[in-house]
Amino acid sequence: MPGLGASFGRGAATNYQQDMANSDCILFMGSNMAEAQPVGFRWPMKAKEKGATLIHVDPRFTRMSAVCDLYVGIRSGSDIAFLGGLVNYVLTNDRWFHEYVMAYTNASTIIEEGFQDTEDLAGLFSGFDQKHESYDSREGHWGYEEPGNGGQEKQDASRNEQAKSAKDPHGRHGHARDGSGDPFVSPYKDMTIAQRDPTLQHPHCVMQILRRHFARYTPEVVSQVCGCKPEEFVRVAELLCSNSGRERTTCIAYALGWTQHTTGVQIIRTAGILQLLLGNMGRPGGGIMALRGHSTIQGATDISTLYDSLPGYLPQPAAHDPANEDLSSYIEYGEMPTGYWANFSKFIVSLLKAWYGDAATPENDFGFSWLPRVDGDYSQLAYFDRMAKGGVKGYFLAGQNPAGGGPNANVHRAGLRNLEWLVVLDWFETESAVFWKDDPNGPPSSEIGTEVFFIPAAAAQEKEGSLTNTQRLIQWHRKAIDPSGDCRSDAWFFYNLGKRLKQLYAGSTDPKDQALLNLTWDYDYDEQPRLPDGTLSRIEGEPDLEKVLMEINGHRLVETDPRTGLPRLLSSYSELKDDGTTACGCWVYSGVFPEPGRNRADERKITDNPVQPEWGFAWPNNVRVLYNRASADPDGRPWSERKKLVWWDAEKRRWVGPDKPDFELEKPPDYQPPPGATGMAAIAGTQPFITKADGLGWLYSPSTKDGPLPTHYEPVESPLGNLLYPKQSTSPMVRFFDGPLNQIAHQPTAEYPVVATTFRLTEHYLSGPMSRFNSWLNELQPAMFAELSYELAAERGIVHGGWMTIQTPRGRIEARAMVTRRLRPFVVEGRVVHQIGLPFHWAFAGESVGSNANDLTALLADPNVSMHESKAFTCQVQAGRLEGQAPQPTVPTAHWPTLDPIPDTPASAQPEGRIGHGK
Amino acid sequence: MHENSRPQQAFTEPPLPETGTEGYENMPVTKVPGWHGIIAWDALLNGMATGLFLAAAVSELAAPAVFMHVAKIAYPVALVLLLVDLGLLVLDLGDPLRFHHMLRVFKPGSPMSVGTWSLTIFSLPLTAAAGLSLLALLGFDFEWARILAVVAGLLPGFGSAAYKGVLLSTNAQPGWKDARWLGGYLTNSALLMGCAELLVLSALMGQPQATAILRTAFIVLLVLNVIPMGLLFANLQPTHAQLYTREQQWRAGALIAVGTLIPLGLMLFNGGLLFILVAVIFLLAESWFIRFLYVKIPHTSPLEVRSGE
Amino acid sequence: MASREKELSALPQTSDAPRGQLSELAGRLIYPFLHGEPPKPQTPTGFYTDTTVCIGCKACEVACKQWNQLPSDGFNWSGNSYDNTNELSATTWRHVKFIEQFSHEAPGTPASEGTSSNEQALNRWLMMSDHCKHCLAAPCHQACPTGAIIQNEFENVYIQADICNGCSCCVAACPFGVITRSDMGGHSHKCTLCYDRQRDGLEPACAKACPTQSIHFGPVEELREQARKRVEELHQRGVPQAYLYGDAPTETYSEMHSFYLLVDRPSVYGLPDAPFNPWLHMAGDYVRSIAGGLAAIAVLLLVVFLLKP
Repeated sequence: MPGLGASFGRGAATNYQQDMANSDCILFMGSNMAEAQPVGFRWPMKAKEKGATLIHVDPRFTRMSAVCDLYVGIRSGSDIAFLGGLVNYVLTNDRWFHEYVMAYTNASTIIEEGFQDTEDLAGLFSGFDQKHESYDSREGHWGYEEPGNGGQEKQDASRNEQAKSAKDPHGRHGHARDGSGDPFVSPYKDMTIAQRDPTLQHPHCVMQILRRHFARYTPEVVSQVCGCKPEEFVRVAELLCSNSGRERTTCIAYALGWTQHTTGVQIIRTAGILQLLLGNMGRPGGGIMALRGHSTIQGATDISTLYDSLPGYLPQPAAHDPANEDLSSYIEYGEMPTGYWANFSKFIVSLLKAWYGDAATPENDFGFSWLPRVDGDYSQLAYFDRMAKGGVKGYFLAGQNPAGGGPNANVHRAGLRNLEWLVVLDWFETESAVFWKDDPNGPPSSEIGTEVFFIPAAAAQEKEGSLTNTQRLIQWHRKAIDPSGDCRSDAWFFYNLGKRLKQLYAGSTDPKDQALLNLTWDYDYDEQPRLPDGTLSRIEGEPDLEKVLMEINGHRLVETDPRTGLPRLLSSYSELKDDGTTACGCWVYSGVFPEPGRNRADERKITDNPVQPEWGFAWPNNVRVLYNRASADPDGRPWSERKKLVWWDAEKRRWVGPDKPDFELEKPPDYQPPPGATGMAAIAGTQPFITKADGLGWLYSPSTKDGPLPTHYEPVESPLGNLLYPKQSTSPMVRFFDGPLNQIAHQPTAEYPVVATTFRLTEHYLSGPMSRFNSWLNELQPAMFAELSYELAAERGIVHGGWMTIQTPRGRIEARAMVTRRLRPFVVEGRVVHQIGLPFHWAFAGESVGSNANDLTALLADPNVSMHESKAFTCQVQAGRLEGQAPQPTVPTAHWPTLDPIPDTPASAQPEGRIGHGK
Repeated sequence: MHENSRPQQAFTEPPLPETGTEGYENMPVTKVPGWHGIIAWDALLNGMATGLFLAAAVSELAAPAVFMHVAKIAYPVALVLLLVDLGLLVLDLGDPLRFHHMLRVFKPGSPMSVGTWSLTIFSLPLTAAAGLSLLALLGFDFEWARILAVVAGLLPGFGSAAYKGVLLSTNAQPGWKDARWLGGYLTNSALLMGCAELLVLSALMGQPQATAILRTAFIVLLVLNVIPMGLLFANLQPTHAQLYTREQQWRAGALIAVGTLIPLGLMLFNGGLLFILVAVIFLLAESWFIRFLYVKIPHTSPLEVRSGE
Repeated sequence: MASREKELSALPQTSDAPRGQLSELAGRLIYPFLHGEPPKPQTPTGFYTDTTVCIGCKACEVACKQWNQLPSDGFNWSGNSYDNTNELSATTWRHVKFIEQFSHEAPGTPASEGTSSNEQALNRWLMMSDHCKHCLAAPCHQACPTGAIIQNEFENVYIQADICNGCSCCVAACPFGVITRSDMGGHSHKCTLCYDRQRDGLEPACAKACPTQSIHFGPVEELREQARKRVEELHQRGVPQAYLYGDAPTETYSEMHSFYLLVDRPSVYGLPDAPFNPWLHMAGDYVRSIAGGLAAIAVLLLVVFLLKP
């Protein structure tokens, strides 16, 4: 969640879902929580029952809009215009939370004089390098104005790095540089000594720059760009303002409707700015809820399945990079003098100790040289683009379905067809497993060389492990039954794969093999595990995942625990050392397994503490509301009785409250760092955002590649130009993957005049790899359909319930027409723009098959996290069907459970009936 | 049956400016019981069997001398009709092998239960009566026992005739739930048919006296039957108006009128065997048609719904 | 509740002992007649469905089919908003209905707390999870001739599937169209209010699965109180059209153990505006039926007496 990291320091939802029940107002935008996260949606409904106002801003009137108090329809891709309008409304009407903003944000910070805004340069910030189509933040003077030039070299180092990676088209794009504690995010490290103007009058102070930047985002402009009515917009703005401040808090919730844009990161940034101005961050019922599209996606970024970061958001060292030659330079370059990242060396050394065990010694840099180096862009889109062009040999797919769910699935299938071998671990034979024989658009099987190995996988109930949900809550789930037949857990597969690889390389002295050979890899159960009913598990060789969790939690290698005779477990990352005496697999998770037999992720205690701290474990340190120091005023008193969460207890001389303080417990509110202070000591008692070098929330954030402030750009495919910046229609740094399979409708054309967005139904899951093989779900949404307005249907002669085709430069699909008033045309810049919605759940494998919305979407990448733009593209629609054969189900329908008569209730469960009843 | 209520027309319907999707207001709320034409035949045979027995019994008890001979034939015939009827009833169950479950309880509140028990009890004296009648014809005469059986059969016989109408009008089905006079009509027409059958038998057996009396009775009953019939159709009018076009209703009305007037005319004109046969056939056809029309109601979707198809 | 589930999951599942063919046959014949003593009454339980918080996720439908092991009804895209279930039936005991109510002008404010009133243009999407109403005086219960349909100790209307013989009287009787006869096995089925779960101290599967607590389960008295409070609350919040359906008896129908909070006319949700219990007619129908018969008999007798020699 780079947008969040860039603004606040950590790339994760700041509050927890249950906390939404404490909100007085919730703005859902780019989210359809009721349909996509229905279970979590019970909490907003609780808030509503308590009288809170729910607002939904979305292109489609969805099942969620139905239960919201206010629905505002806006055109896909106009989110920044809408949010920017809100920021402007808050500033111009002086509705911002003065004390909060002054104390907790960088509003007063003065920016280098050379900085020029998009308002000055017609849609571009200063420092844009036309040749490489990227920004050089140093050239652009994005940084803080400083007295003197302290730490110049460091700056240069980082600047170069910043510039390099930004220039390199296959540079290290990705999630670790999202500012979520990544030290590289800011071109300027030493920020505590930045100049400030408490009067906010300095023309180059952040507040003034902000005012100028958003000045043109007036209600009228918003309504022109978004297609909503000005009064609708003002109503939303008023509701947000009147529900923020000392007594009340507003929460903003978003999901993939924001992230899946080439401007996704900046959309989230705008929300961050808004919440900082309204003073809703770090407070109960406030914050920003990042709702995820997939279970444990948060875990994936934390523990880093991402190619360019190590667990705990440490940067993956880059190849051929002087800064990453050895550990010391890596640390020097990564370490921040101030803020929590001053502990950088402890994190990386402990990680190396966890991975390489005794083999990691101070002499060999703790095996730093064994860490894989990144030599290019391995994010999914770039990777599959390369695969489609024939650059990849083999691939493992575990629980993923790019052939059905990848943006522009054509490219993804082309990629899979180019592989020599492919291993698919899944419950069912998904599109990615049968693309070589059942793809209606693909070549005959005889022409496909890919050898596909299908490995039957275990379901969640058939394996144990942990899930980290959107609110950073790590929850353990136990195994209920053994998987049937040859099905095995993913952990089993990769653990045993690793074992065999280690055997194959055993005894090798080749330096490049040492990384594998020295890897700690012993997670066997001490004794065969038992199932809940007490019987022994049938499965051999299953790894003991609690051992893995303990490694992640970390140990003190020098002390042994008398209870186990093993190294003592860490109770928190504050115990980490950088001398090799501690090992920790992921520092942010440290504390999840504080003592033998106490897996806090497995705790399910309901207490009378409303925060429920004993249900699971939330990183960091079981903090449920991040930056909760901000729930108290600068003097440490709660802003209000109604919204108290964490406050300074003068007697006890410590921070107290229902939630764990996200702050040094004993640091008093009046603490001021002495000159030249480093590390946490440099963070004042009034600075809640402790992972930021200056401890402040960033209204202005130089850490994002495409500019320090959010700017409205049209989607790459849009029927219109950019009303606000006619010279710069789309984001200047979008990355394209050219190819015959991935053509883009760059310019607004009459050929593709209709705006399309993909969306999710409650009844299905993602591209359907789990749901379209289940007849209980298929009967609820049995066919691919498209939602369109009456006006568009009438215009194209499309009949409700009949067939229609949708076409983009990438492909053409057919769908049943759902003609409904829930969609409506937008009047944008005075002309009518039609919008359709496409559920992306169908493809050609399973019980229920149909056209795939992702055959239409494009392979595009936003500059910060390589995210695609499936939520806004253009298409053409017509009545009728596709010529040729429609896909047929690849598996017979299981009329679950069988076609036998419904079983009679057993006599024992009959109120009347046979003698002996009730005995 | 599931298909009926599915909004199939959704696929062909042009988009209406008002509503995108049908909603539920035009959909039938109730579900049709899985009953078929069988029930129309059941209602007919039930009436013919019970009616024949009652007519025979009543007239024999009132004037033994005149009716004894024809009655002795009537009872066996009634029994046969009844057995066929019971067969149909069982066949129409979802699980015929569980027919006997009907007899595990007696629920006065449930017309079906009342009916089942009446029919079951009725079948015993009727069998006895029929058997003894046949014996009597063969010369083994147990007159007192036969009369006893006939008397014993009166009440359950009447019950078996009377329950059917209540069963088919005490429910939530469109039309049926308004058919207050169905019972009145069915029971009445049962005796009408019974009288007619008896008339045919006596004519066939060449019993001039019985024939003459029954012919008169038949004429009067035929007229009398018009009253409950009229009341019944008054009940059904609103529903029929929804289901059928005007001319459809006229045609049906005409058929029914013919079914009443032709027998009436024939009987008034001449009492010959041929005339009697024709008249009775017309009557039975009409009776079946009315029952068929009635049973069909819930299985027919209203005009405006059908127009969409 | 959760802990209770843990306990139970450890217990072995109860089921009938396998029986040999002969004893199977004997059993088929005899066991329906063997009544065990009915369990002693418990506090009446039921459902209260608050449609204003329903998000149409259909979790209740899936939970119901999963727990009761009901088959899928095939994949038919109805085009009726998001409702592809279409109706309640023997194999579908929960049915989420979707009603799109949008005026010509674009979707603005959905009708919900604080915003709507009947006068202003409607822009709302109503959702309602429908199921058996578990009427206190249930027509299906009254109609059932086998005693398969009973009111169990929780005062829920329950079909004993091993007793039902598929006569379909209940199907005809239900004013809500809840029950149908299964094509598989030929017996009637409907929501059991998870009788088996209740006996084990668990709440019904659908209520358990409902994420927004649109479906409340509990002692019906408490539910009614809770529901009435909620209605007042909604009235204060500017939803004057909110009301309860089925919580109290009317002149024509008893209260229901599962009742609804609605914001539009019942017929909009596919419910009868004024449900009517057919049994209110039964006595009258019997009278008319008997009268019709007696009249005929009287006429017959009269004629016989007048004309006999």
